[in-house]
Amino acid sequence: MTFPELLSSLSSHAIHGAPPCDLTVRPKSPEVVADVLAACSTDGLRVLIWGAGTHQGIGHRVDPDVVLSTERLDRIVDHRVDDLTLTVQAGVTVGSIASTLRPHGQMAVLPEEEKAATVGGVLAVGASGYGRLRMGPVRDHLLEVLVATGDGRLVRAGAKVVKHVQGYDLMRLSVGSLGSLGVVVEATLKLWPTPRASATVEVAMPPDAGRAFRPQAVLQTRDRTLVMLTGTAEEVEAQADALGGESERGLLWPDQPRPRDGEGLWSVRVPPTLVPEVVDRVPGEFVAQHGVGIVEAPMDGPTAAAMREWLEPLGGVVVLLGGHDALYADPGPWGSDPAALDLQRRIVARFDPDRVVNPGRPAGGI
Amino acid sequence: MSLEALAERLRPLLGDAAVLTHPVERHLYSKDAGLRRTEPGLVVLPTSTEEVAAVVRAAADLGVAVVPRGGGSGLTGGAVPSEPAVVVALTRMDEIHEIDAVGRTAWVGPGVINLDLSEVTRPLGLHFAPDPSSQSVCTIGGNVANNAGGPHCLAEGSTVAHILGVELVLPDGEVVVLGGAAPDLPGLDLRGVVVGSEGTLGVVTRVLVKLTPNPPDVRTLLMEFDEVRQAADTVSGIIGAGIVPDALELMDRKTLEVMEAFLHIGLPVDAAAVLLCETSGHPAAVAAEAALCEEVARRCGARAVQVAADEAERQVLWKARKAAFGAVAQMAPDFYLHDVVVPRTTLPEVLDEVYRIAERHDLHIMNVFHAGDGNLHPIMGFDLAEDGVRDAVMAAADELIAVTLSVGGALTGEHGIGTEKRDHLPKVFDEVSLDAQARLREAFDPEGRFNPEHVLPKGSRCADFGRPLPEGAWV
Ligand SMILES: Cc1cc2nc3c(=O)[nH]c(=O)nc-3n(C[C@H](O)[C@H](O)[C@H](O)COP(=O)(O)OP(=O)(O)OC[C@H]3O[C@@H](n4cnc5c(N)ncnc54)[C@H](O)[C@@H]3O)c2cc1C
Repeated sequence: MTFPELLSSLSSHAIHGAPPCDLTVRPKSPEVVADVLAACSTDGLRVLIWGAGTHQGIGHRVDPDVVLSTERLDRIVDHRVDDLTLTVQAGVTVGSIASTLRPHGQMAVLPEEEKAATVGGVLAVGASGYGRLRMGPVRDHLLEVLVATGDGRLVRAGAKVVKHVQGYDLMRLSVGSLGSLGVVVEATLKLWPTPRASATVEVAMPPDAGRAFRPQAVLQTRDRTLVMLTGTAEEVEAQADALGGESERGLLWPDQPRPRDGEGLWSVRVPPTLVPEVVDRVPGEFVAQHGVGIVEAPMDGPTAAAMREWLEPLGGVVVLLGGHDALYADPGPWGSDPAALDLQRRIVARFDPDRVVNPGRPAGGI
Repeated sequence: MSLEALAERLRPLLGDAAVLTHPVERHLYSKDAGLRRTEPGLVVLPTSTEEVAAVVRAAADLGVAVVPRGGGSGLTGGAVPSEPAVVVALTRMDEIHEIDAVGRTAWVGPGVINLDLSEVTRPLGLHFAPDPSSQSVCTIGGNVANNAGGPHCLAEGSTVAHILGVELVLPDGEVVVLGGAAPDLPGLDLRGVVVGSEGTLGVVTRVLVKLTPNPPDVRTLLMEFDEVRQAADTVSGIIGAGIVPDALELMDRKTLEVMEAFLHIGLPVDAAAVLLCETSGHPAAVAAEAALCEEVARRCGARAVQVAADEAERQVLWKARKAAFGAVAQMAPDFYLHDVVVPRTTLPEVLDEVYRIAERHDLHIMNVFHAGDGNLHPIMGFDLAEDGVRDAVMAAADELIAVTLSVGGALTGEHGIGTEKRDHLPKVFDEVSLDAQARLREAFDPEGRFNPEHVLPKGSRCADFGRPLPEGAWV
């Protein structure tokens, strides 16, 4: 796919307008990524990293001199079927990983509802899927990374085995870093056997959902509450029966809510016990992840700002996932500065001293 | 000299009883469960975050190194100073501050003993999932610092998956709270880096832990094999069949013999190996999974499979597993417990190699380990009083690491690097990657005063890599 083709295939809340620069590089190897970044550091150029463009709405806007696309870093490097590990380059998509693994009865813990997203993008923004309630966040399944740092070094951390504590956890540090350390060019993921059975049960909420033992997800939308069950066939059936309600095979993920004119799509992240109160206050459509603490909802600027004012003192955040430019200025994509911002700056200064990768984009404007 | 000055400065702040300078008192803190011993110059026992911050600030003023310490059960010398230092023992900060039974979280002090937390939350139907075999003596702070594992981390993940937030006193004395109960807080995941940092990035003074619901049903199987290889094959077979049990622990014959002599519980001492396999969850799942595990074991040649009939029987089986290290004393006066991870599929060949290494060096060896993760724990028993035995043990340990790395394994699965494995790190990371590790550490601790000489080998920070920091970038 060419870069313009890629652009035209973007999902609705990806970005508004074309990528804001003409110069696009599409390196075919980790080494070239490092070379590009080293050169940009030398010349003081700002680089925007582009995966599939599905999460470009996150963070402050970047006005880049160069777009670095990971589209040609598309190699599945190593699938150790019996060891349950998969090593891929950053540009491989969630969808193609799923189809690689399916014949082996395996899965990676990635946001499976976002097939077009690339692994690099998912890791950079730290996007976990709806199955997180049971499986945990994406960062808990990253075993090894190869990072091209902002100043052009290739750094490897972790190991290709399912468990280890070998050195500092640069894997978790890179998840959600939005490029502030550099570009994740290769990653090894921990795989899991695909559950033998799954079902989606519609329940009355609350309190019925609470009765399921370790569901894959409990998702609430404006008109219904769904309990997603996975496990052995016996377990899924027994749990579905116990819950009552309509039950269907498979995991029927709800669609992401769509913003209307003037609205952005926001991710409200709170201690999980606050989810019911957040649900009471969101104005329109939403998808709430019970037990996890995330409510995604379209809101206009003032509503999001009010939500932020209410939740930040309670340990919550209200993050913009996508929307028009005005929302990035006010109320802004992140809210208050994150904890230990000075320390974060000190770390970033040691990986990307000239701030060439996605400069200013992360929380706190780093 | 500066340690004396530090002691003088801290006495009025912490009280005389919390500042240990007498050699006999200090001696109690000279070792962890590994082999290395160093007498610490000064030991303090703070009881609050404020006191820890005061200690750290005073140490910074006087340029004194700081070594945090929990239960002292670490196996890699993590809490044993490498140079004159103040040891900050967190054992008195053992308060469980608040439990949120609905949100399933708790804020706890770093000195809380791992098992105590699960005991306290049991009436709420909750527990702290990481269950190192040392859980009756190790602390939550130590678990965080080492990213501890345990039998049940196969399905549940290591400590890091159960830590939502930490309060940390940075090396300059600043107190920060990293992470929290809400998911995906913006900014770098500093919580994730502090977990597993082995006391080199600051002192953890409070921990927000995730609590896990106790399973409604659990089934524990003991599978007996005539060959170690059959047990190893069963491990791969079970996971290949699409099941990740809660725990999958292997014990070899030597372990069984030693354990039986210690516990007298009727272990099958004539088996070459047994697997302890546990599944838990919904009753329907447990029955189906246990049946499948048993089927795989039999297919791989298990000569018998026992199922624990009730909780009492289950506890007996687990006792055999968890008391294993205590029983080593039966075998020899000293022991060295190793920790490496290999790809699960290489377990049979690596185990063969482990036995050969032990034979070559004339060491007793028993293998009891987290087989489901490929996380080996060969335990070598010996008598340090014997001439040359320390060298033999170290040589065997090095060979074991060589074997591990030759099959693509990792230096450590859960015990950490400490000083024990530090000099092996360049075998798994190139210079640029080691330098990156050193850069991260430097951002937290520019003077290198926290647990100096631990984790990273000397010279890891090579200023030659990459471009120099621009003026003012040090923030
Ligand atoms: C018999 C036996 C069995 C074991 N089994 C297991 C097992 O199954 N799984 C496993 O993972 N480990 C196991 N261990 C190793 C050990 O128990 C763990 O590493 C444990 O987490 C250490 O906790 P501790 O409180 O004893 O820490 P310590 O030994 O006191 O310290 C360990 C490290 O943590 C740092 N530290 C401690 N507290 C803090 C704090 N508050 N802030 C910052 N840094 C701190 C220290 O500086 C040191 O580097 C075992 C040990 C023994 C002796």
